[in-house]
Amino acid sequence: MAKNHNIPEYKAEWKAGEEGKWGMAIDMDICTGCNACVAACAMENNIPFVGEEDAGYGRGMHWIRIERLWEGKYPEVKTEFQPVMCQQCGSAPCEPVCPVFASVHSQAEKLNVQVYNRCVGTRYCANNCPYVVRTFNWRDYDRPEPLNNQLNPDVTVRQRGVMEKCTFCVQRIHKAQDQAKSEGREVFDGEVQPACAQACPADAIVFGRIDDPESRVSKLAKQGRGYKLLEDLNTLPQVTYLKGGSHVRNG
Amino acid sequence: MSENISRRDFIKLAGVTAATAAVLTGCGPASRYVVREPYTKMPEYTYNGQSTYYATTCRECAAGCGLVVRTMQGRALKVEGNKYNPTNLGKTCARGQAALQGLYNPDRIQNPVNQKGEEMDWDTAIGVVAETLGKYQPDEIAFLTGLAPDHLFDLFGEVAKTFGAPAPLRYGALGMFEARATLGEAARALFGQPNNLFFDLAGAEVTFSFGANFLETWVSPVAYTRGFAKMRQGTPGKRGYLVHFEPRLSQTAIKADEWFAIKPGSEGLLALALGKLTAEHQGKVIAAYEGVDVEAAAEAAGLEISTLERLARIFGNSRHALAIPGGAPLAQSNGLDSAKAILSLNALAGNLGQPGGVFLTPAAPVNDGYHRPATVRELALLVEKMASGQIKALFVHGVNPVFEIPAALGFSAALDKVETVISFASFPDETAVRADYIFPDHTGLESWGYQRLASGAKESTLSGAQPVVAPFYNTRATADVILAAAERIGKPLPYKDEVAFIQSKIESLVTTEGGFHAAPEINTFWAQFQQFGGWWTNDEKLGSPTSAVLDRPLAVRPAEYQGNGEYHLFTYVSPILGEAGANKPWLQEVPDPTTTVMWNTWVEINPKTAETLGLHDDDVVRIVSPFGAVEVSVYLYPAIRPDVIAMPFGQGHAAYGRYAEGRGVNPADLFGGAVNDAGDLAYAGLKVKIEKTGQKKQLSRLESRIGVYGYEEH
Repeated sequence: MAKNHNIPEYKAEWKAGEEGKWGMAIDMDICTGCNACVAACAMENNIPFVGEEDAGYGRGMHWIRIERLWEGKYPEVKTEFQPVMCQQCGSAPCEPVCPVFASVHSQAEKLNVQVYNRCVGTRYCANNCPYVVRTFNWRDYDRPEPLNNQLNPDVTVRQRGVMEKCTFCVQRIHKAQDQAKSEGREVFDGEVQPACAQACPADAIVFGRIDDPESRVSKLAKQGRGYKLLEDLNTLPQVTYLKGGSHVRNG
Repeated sequence: MSENISRRDFIKLAGVTAATAAVLTGCGPASRYVVREPYTKMPEYTYNGQSTYYATTCRECAAGCGLVVRTMQGRALKVEGNKYNPTNLGKTCARGQAALQGLYNPDRIQNPVNQKGEEMDWDTAIGVVAETLGKYQPDEIAFLTGLAPDHLFDLFGEVAKTFGAPAPLRYGALGMFEARATLGEAARALFGQPNNLFFDLAGAEVTFSFGANFLETWVSPVAYTRGFAKMRQGTPGKRGYLVHFEPRLSQTAIKADEWFAIKPGSEGLLALALGKLTAEHQGKVIAAYEGVDVEAAAEAAGLEISTLERLARIFGNSRHALAIPGGAPLAQSNGLDSAKAILSLNALAGNLGQPGGVFLTPAAPVNDGYHRPATVRELALLVEKMASGQIKALFVHGVNPVFEIPAALGFSAALDKVETVISFASFPDETAVRADYIFPDHTGLESWGYQRLASGAKESTLSGAQPVVAPFYNTRATADVILAAAERIGKPLPYKDEVAFIQSKIESLVTTEGGFHAAPEINTFWAQFQQFGGWWTNDEKLGSPTSAVLDRPLAVRPAEYQGNGEYHLFTYVSPILGEAGANKPWLQEVPDPTTTVMWNTWVEINPKTAETLGLHDDDVVRIVSPFGAVEVSVYLYPAIRPDVIAMPFGQGHAAYGRYAEGRGVNPADLFGGAVNDAGDLAYAGLKVKIEKTGQKKQLSRLESRIGVYGYEEH
């Protein structure tokens, strides 16, 4: 892709040389595409299901999805699984386009947050997101009783006309921070786990502080296999992907 | 009935639910020790706004993964893995995550009912069970149970014994698709014990998987996924090599370094050829591979001999090579021979009982025999007895036989001949709606219980289950119903209730040394059993097979196929829905890992084949076998053999609630009744025809339709 000149001269809360705070490393060599993260995310974050017709129209509400892109032709055909969620860009293309400041950068968390009660549903942010990870509540989706019993009280239930996306399970970050504060200590590495990382049977998703060089996620991200999605857009994503296997024949 | 929830309603609702739960408390001995109190009388460990976590065992399949469920004020909010349980070490699959949508499913059976749908009270219900048990001769009674939970299987076994009835049969579609009896039989022939096997993927350098979908549904997918991750990235500088043989590129095959789309039924021949070539490469003469025709095997599989030679070198050069037999290769007419041939590669590699090799699953702490699922041959006997009127009372728990047993076996018709059918189902599934009575059990998350492991952990493990919430509806533990009924007709078992039964079973573990926890007496032990979600040994208890098999020549005869169509039908269990996930709306909306299709069934056809037939994406075709026909939308799958078409099992329900009913088709309707030498259904050896219907029905899929602006042609 040619260099994209459409990204505005916009720096959000980003200061040169300043790392983000929370980040993720996803090892594509061991991601098995099992979708446990997708289900876990939906259960944790009160994500509605939209039904067959809307889902087929591209209106599914998944905050995380497993990309599966084909390469080659049968029988030399192959593919890889790649979980994609909001990359929590340091210089987020979704932020400057929001007329009501619903898509903003939080100073405390250095996360890209969506303020639901500001959102007026222009969908400009989704239009501008190169990762296509924002989902829009086209309707008020049914949650027949008693399915509503499993709603997580830590997460707002969204209404029609509101944009939403992955939050890095910010409610879990806050809970861990409160706990640490009450015990007079820092949050330790691995204490915060978003629902996807917690469920992942292969432990392919690792979450933690990327401003701490000693954290597990920082060490993984520094491995030679690390890369960012659409790096040339200079969105400064906080998610590092670790390249899949060699596929070199050893015979 | 539905509700759109505003923030304010949501807060109100939380209060109402807690109060409702309080009213429902104390509805039977199963809620023993689980008491929900109203706000005014909160138990002291409950704080407003604070969660309580309960350890229990997942029931979405029989693997026995440990769960920790987050609850708040009597509601279950989130399923998480139990990090102590050696099976899954804190992890879960998508099905486990969606377990709450079973608990809070809007279509649950809320009261005991008779066939007319009239509600009954539990006293009458127990009377009906007692009368049924008393009225008939012992050999006129049959118990059919699922692969989980094990404690109920054990109790049914004792009840059957007390009444002199035949031992309960256990069955689940997963067991059938994995041909577990065949693997057990092959293990007996080769290793002397009909045991479950544990494959130490984590320690293997080179793994040859013959259609084993261990990252999807095979035996214990969460445990094997962990093994896979360790094999790949567990040791710095080392990366295990995976070669996968399967007619279509499955989720597991996608993760392989090399995938070979071999012809269905040729797996055993291929294994023997690889064995012979490996032995030659190592300069050994092995009696088992005498008379193996490598050329014929290569041709049967559709591979070049040079490829086989290269693979044999890879296998032979490794000090930690492993071969895993999956379900489909065993569910062929030659399945038992194939299982032996594939397992023999492990003996050749010298990995039996070695790191990265094959082990016997540890004996369970309770009732340690190997209680394998019934084969289709055994089921056919039951069906015959039902059809001839010899079986007059059938008790069904934990399985939906009308859906899960392939139609060709005639279970559905035979069910009409049984005088009294009592279902303990929680959901109105195909079997329950045809039963004379439904006496609903609690769902897994409201139940006591335990589960043995088929495979997955190296430790001898008993996963423990406890209710994480008070029973939501007027349901009752089946164990309590059966115990009460037995007492009423004067043949009591020595257990007061379900909890007493479970406690009596684990009593021997109370002071056992070397366990994860121990106690001086049962009450403390029981508290710990609940707290940690079971009991397991600290040390590995894997058994080591000893083999003499390579002394005798092995032979695999060519597979025989049922049907005379042009295309092999390859049926696999949906990795997302499993055998019983179709009634959970979020599982329906989780895209299939390989096709990304949601909410439906599809048939995978190679684009080349489709071009020849003039078929396009979403065209509806009729798949015809000699035993049945189904109509289904086409999905052009670029990674499947041109002479094979594939369909997932899991949809096609005629009942089972609003999210499952009338959605997709059941490929098992196409199966015939032929069995292999071990009595498992040879469902994988089936050739079918494709007929055009001229109709089109669009499949909902994630690929190419991502993003809020919806569907675009790409």
